[in-house]
Amino acid sequence: MNTVYLIAADEWRYWLRSKLALAVVGLFTLMLVSVSLVTALRMQEAAAELDHHQAEAESVFVSQPNRNPHRMVHYGHYVFRTPTPLAMFDPGLDSVTGQAMFLEGHRQNSATFSSAGASGDLGGLSWLTPALTYQIFAPLLIILLGHSAVVREREARVLASLLAQGVSGKLIVLGKFCALMMFILVLLLPLAISAMFAMANGESFLTAVSLVGVYLLYLSAWGALTLLISSVFQRRTAVITGLASSWLVLTLVLPAVAVNLASAHMPIAGKIEMELAMLTEYKDVSDGHSVSESAFEQLQGELFEQYGVDRVEDLQINIRGLLAQKAEQELTDAMDVYAEKRMSSEVQQARVLATLGWLSPMLSVSVASKTIAGTDISHYHRFLRQAEALRIDFVQGINQVHAEQLSYIDDINRNRDEASYNRSRVDASNWQLLKDFRFETDASGVRLTSAATAIGILSTWVVLLAGLLIWVGGRLRP
Amino acid sequence: MSLLVSLKREAWFLMRDRGLLSWLLVITCLSTFSVWSGLAEVEQQRATIERLLIADKEDRIAELAKQSDWGSAAYYSFHVTYDPPSDFAFAAMGQRDTLPWKHRLRMLALEGQIYEHDAGNPELALIGRFDFAFFAAFVLPLILIFLLHSLKANERVAGRFDLLNATARNDLMLWRTRAILIALSAASATILPMLLAGAASGVGAITLFSAAALVGLYVVFWVVVCVLFAGWERSAQVVLSALVGVWILLGTILPTGGRLIVDAFVPVPTGADILMTQREAVNDAWDLPVEDTMTPFVERHPEWTGYIHTGEGFDWPWYYAFQQVGDQKTEALSLAYQQGRLERDRMAGLISLITPPALLERLLAQLAQTDLRTAIAYENRVRAFHAELRTFFYPMLFQQQAYDAGKLTDLPRFVSGGAFSRVAP
Repeated sequence: MNTVYLIAADEWRYWLRSKLALAVVGLFTLMLVSVSLVTALRMQEAAAELDHHQAEAESVFVSQPNRNPHRMVHYGHYVFRTPTPLAMFDPGLDSVTGQAMFLEGHRQNSATFSSAGASGDLGGLSWLTPALTYQIFAPLLIILLGHSAVVREREARVLASLLAQGVSGKLIVLGKFCALMMFILVLLLPLAISAMFAMANGESFLTAVSLVGVYLLYLSAWGALTLLISSVFQRRTAVITGLASSWLVLTLVLPAVAVNLASAHMPIAGKIEMELAMLTEYKDVSDGHSVSESAFEQLQGELFEQYGVDRVEDLQINIRGLLAQKAEQELTDAMDVYAEKRMSSEVQQARVLATLGWLSPMLSVSVASKTIAGTDISHYHRFLRQAEALRIDFVQGINQVHAEQLSYIDDINRNRDEASYNRSRVDASNWQLLKDFRFETDASGVRLTSAATAIGILSTWVVLLAGLLIWVGGRLRP
Repeated sequence: MSLLVSLKREAWFLMRDRGLLSWLLVITCLSTFSVWSGLAEVEQQRATIERLLIADKEDRIAELAKQSDWGSAAYYSFHVTYDPPSDFAFAAMGQRDTLPWKHRLRMLALEGQIYEHDAGNPELALIGRFDFAFFAAFVLPLILIFLLHSLKANERVAGRFDLLNATARNDLMLWRTRAILIALSAASATILPMLLAGAASGVGAITLFSAAALVGLYVVFWVVVCVLFAGWERSAQVVLSALVGVWILLGTILPTGGRLIVDAFVPVPTGADILMTQREAVNDAWDLPVEDTMTPFVERHPEWTGYIHTGEGFDWPWYYAFQQVGDQKTEALSLAYQQGRLERDRMAGLISLITPPALLERLLAQLAQTDLRTAIAYENRVRAFHAELRTFFYPMLFQQQAYDAGKLTDLPRFVSGGAFSRVAP
């Protein structure tokens, strides 16, 4: 144990003497801190703005005057997706997905106005976030500090004398690994601070800790890989080339290549195409203003029986409101089938990316990080589903008002003249039925469970690489 | 003569450098892969458009067959608009993953429809494609750095430095020759697959030549940077760290900072404002006196001044008039949104002059017509098409012409910007 400590302490002394190492670590810290600050500010601003818009949309809706109920169905409502607390560390899909969505009767609109669409285009890597800084650039730092750990001793012939003195190769490698792990822990401090801020904003302790844990796993894998290559090669140049090309392939090339593969092998039909396919399949529900003939007759028959009448005018309830409800339900059911189809194919594509995490730990850490932060594809879908639930809730609520508070006679005569139109209005207090909308993430336990596969892949990487490192350590040659 | 001799000598050396050869192989493979999957993506997008046009036509014919008045005919007929990928789009998908290139709209207020985005999987858009532009702008410079950083340092370590200098007639010439050869081979390995794919898919010679020249110049830029740093009397490790630092600075830190500056300096109206203004304008109209709609409407369309809203209830011409007035009320915001984005793009273009990787990506996207300007030109074609729909239906509505389904064969057709086969509506 003492040997391990001595070797680790010696490695730290070596780093502290190296001007290059200190300079690069300093620069990295500067970069990380500024990126974290900028992202945190941007997310806070976005959160405040979207919250404000949400509150405004709600108050505008409930303060509408007396209206014909169906007008309110078309008047519609807006929902906004406010960033989650951890989005200030990993905004994930937030920048590429729309933030605003219009909810109205008979339609499922898409989320519009993504920030990426309105921003100045400065190339593929201009969306630096704290998460990406850790995923892409922290490994470089580990390589810079760790690459020479073993090969340096070998080139200086120190390794030979150490081994000759009976120090085991395993202990040497272990000592170096401990030193590197210490450095990784230091590297994770800014992340830990971000996580604490998120906790102050309502994120759970479990989530915060597991986010730090995920990055600890990821960077440990890089630490083990660095020492492994440093132990295997005879010359420092070979070590550098090996590590630099691994970094290039694992962090820049493979993730983007995975995107090409996922989109080529699993093309997804777009929303318009889905819509057209739905219209072909469900010919009867194309509008939402009318139900199918059979549904109409069935409903009418049921109502006549229930109220003991044989004319719609004599019903104590407005059949047009009930029909609107029925039509909306039929249409929504059809739209939901296609929306779910589309979401599940997006999830499948995302799963292809996640599976390719077996080739590049960067893909796994990015999946785990987004999932835990609540900014991944399943949370985007969660937003879409929450919005849809709100939409169907207020539309059907208003249709209920339509059925109960607007008489059939006033309803069908509404276009006769202005007085008739005014008689078709219902009281404004009905608009209070609109529920408040706040986008909420899955509970932290659920998020952790869905990140489990990615965490499993990362752990496998760590175990494999560390195991390989110890094994190589046992066979260390001068 | 001496140049030729040293070129030959160095070429002979380099041909035996397995490290260099394997890197060249990697470059060729990556470039080929990027180009191949770009071609597949372009093919997929074109097939999508073909399918959409067919389904759209069937849907419209079926819907129109059910109608018996002009107002409903306009209400129930949707039209697909699209922006087909250019032939060179395979090399740079640019903004096509973040901006809409297809819509399905009808003659209602356009502002409520044009910002709908039939986006692909955001998970893929976030990471971004491995297209030729990304490969050339970000991956290629790193490979050049790996190849060139140790140009002198390694020879120094290996003890060959003085020997090489002594045997070469001019020591500067030696390193330059070596750098030139490496650059030439790397550039050709990058460019050739792109040229072949471009030629095969019928890209114009000027576009291909410009793209090749841009990548060539870009390689020269990085080779010069590498040679400058490699001349530094430091260990290979220090030189490499410094060069990777330069790459990070130019490729990501400056662009990220630049983008933040641009977005802060050029405000654009928020989407929420555009949407809410539009909705209020259109929905309030139901409860407003008819004159409040018709007055601003005839200001824009004096030819319908004489139209008198008959009866007090629902009336299609009035309905479409308030849809248009809704657009008119949102016009200023919408224009500001478009101009703000163009201004942001212009400023980003200026900033990209100091960030070569972003500059290369932008220029390639321009050549491929996948940049913001192309997307906005498409948006404007959609606006023009929507205006055509209004021009088509307004006389029928406002002159209260008798319904004649036969006239619908003259419905305006959306004409895409690029040369691309179209299905008649």
